[in-house]
Amino acid sequence: MPETYLSPLWISLRTVLATTVITFFLGIAAARWMARYRGKCKTLIDGIFILPLVLPPTVVGFGLLIFFGRHGPMGQFLALFDTTVVFSWPATVIAAVVMSFPLMYMTSRGAFEQVEPNIEDAARTLGANEWKVFWSVTFPLAWPGVAAATVLSLARSLGEFGATLMLAGNIPGKTATIPVAIYFAIQAGDYNKALVLVAIVLIISFSAIAAMAYWKGRQFLSKSIVNKPQNFE
Amino acid sequence: MLEVKIKRSLPGFKLDIDFSVDQEILAILGPSGSGKTMTLHCIAGLTQPDEGYIKLNEKVLYDSATKIHLSPQMRKVGFVFQNYALFPHLTVQENIAYGIAQRAKSEIEDRVAQLLEKMNVRELGQRYPRQLSGGQQQRVALARALAPEPEILLLDEPFSALDTQVKERLELELLSLQNFYKGNILLVTHNLAEGYKMASKIAVYDSGRIIQCDSKQKVISSPANHTVAKLTGVRNLFRGIIREIQGKDVQVFIPEMEQTVRVELKGTFHLLPNQNVTVGIRPEYVHLSENPVENTFKCIVYRMVDGISSADCFFYAQGKAGSRHWIEAILAKSDADRICQGQECYLHLHPEHWTLLAD
Repeated sequence: MPETYLSPLWISLRTVLATTVITFFLGIAAARWMARYRGKCKTLIDGIFILPLVLPPTVVGFGLLIFFGRHGPMGQFLALFDTTVVFSWPATVIAAVVMSFPLMYMTSRGAFEQVEPNIEDAARTLGANEWKVFWSVTFPLAWPGVAAATVLSLARSLGEFGATLMLAGNIPGKTATIPVAIYFAIQAGDYNKALVLVAIVLIISFSAIAAMAYWKGRQFLSKSIVNKPQNFE
Repeated sequence: MLEVKIKRSLPGFKLDIDFSVDQEILAILGPSGSGKTMTLHCIAGLTQPDEGYIKLNEKVLYDSATKIHLSPQMRKVGFVFQNYALFPHLTVQENIAYGIAQRAKSEIEDRVAQLLEKMNVRELGQRYPRQLSGGQQQRVALARALAPEPEILLLDEPFSALDTQVKERLELELLSLQNFYKGNILLVTHNLAEGYKMASKIAVYDSGRIIQCDSKQKVISSPANHTVAKLTGVRNLFRGIIREIQGKDVQVFIPEMEQTVRVELKGTFHLLPNQNVTVGIRPEYVHLSENPVENTFKCIVYRMVDGISSADCFFYAQGKAGSRHWIEAILAKSDADRICQGQECYLHLHPEHWTLLAD
């Protein structure tokens, strides 16, 4: 396959991978914290975390551009180290992280809230520190929800367009992810290129769905075997 | 030895308690919402009190004066939650081993095997909690709490979700546990019979305070006040005035019944003639009498509820201006068969079964 198709694919895959890893930990940390947070600012913080989901992506992109731009606070800070992120590959990751974070946060927070506080308390009375309580009890029990959250935010970052375009632009071989490349291919009247890129996205998405379904099916299967009623007392 | 003296305020609720136990089973008895579970949470370190102290075997768990508040991890407290709170994603063995994971592997295996054996769940080691019945889950929860050899065992309504048969068997097992586990046990319950059976001492809670903490015999025979009497099953309570005191015998006039009863005192009271008191008697000590003798009331049978081995009977005495004064009795079947609804009869309330409360 010629470079013109492979390049957006590689950029997208790298971006999605980096984004998913970052969003995964950021989202979980925020969700875990907010799930048990009982402070005054709960609604406010919650609103800020979810904001990128309700705002138009271009608005978020514009905000990021101001923030990371030459005159923005983060831009000036980065200038001290002679770096800039605007219109570079990291910008695609930043845009995708900001846009996919609300999904990861909201969905996994719901999963953490479903974990019964008594079960975590039981672990504490058995001597487990907070770190162990989280990784040995809370996380495994919330895992189905966290996994769903991860898939959602992965899909969101693969499809990210608006904010990415604003912050990272369309530099072929550098920041042009698949959705951005499709848009500019159509703009340029290159329908063949657009179709091939669309086909690539379809293949990735369908394989992801198939993998999920297969994995869920296996899980369901093993559960139904374990769940066979066995009761004697 | 456990000493607890703590206060904690929440909107609309105030916990203010003070008690101590020494190597025994204490039942914490009271209606729901009276602060029983919160007490256990404070002892386990899951909730921080506002002020006071908690001391366990010379170790200070909490002290507001010296700002000590040990985390639950540091307290060596075994907690059995009301819904057992087993780890659903771990097997029974893994559940029990959770609190002793830092020990050597062979030691963990030995301890788990020993506890499985002790709690009669030997064959369930590989199962997951959802594959267990309620009673089995309870046994596993106990084994898990006991594994790290806690200095105190806190049981939050451990039998409330079990059916009667399983419950009775588990009660017996818990009692025999005392040979195996030497330490304090605190048992929260709202069931008096259960508390009496299991514990040596009972603390009666009412809206965040302990209104009596004594040996179980004492709580039953001489309740500290009206509320304790009611909570511990003294269903018949009457206001009265002391007429005469002769050693252990007191004549109490009950205005609503227009009658004087003889009450035999248990324990020491400082009573004066004409003092206002409350006298009460449990329904199981109310008996039928053929003819009016001392301490009998003339009553009318209002309703009878047939039980398996006895019958709950409700009587009333006709008072002035058509008022009715109720007496509840638990009669043997043979006695209950002799009366029928609406019939007039005599009830005998024996002097030695009365409870007297100084107002």
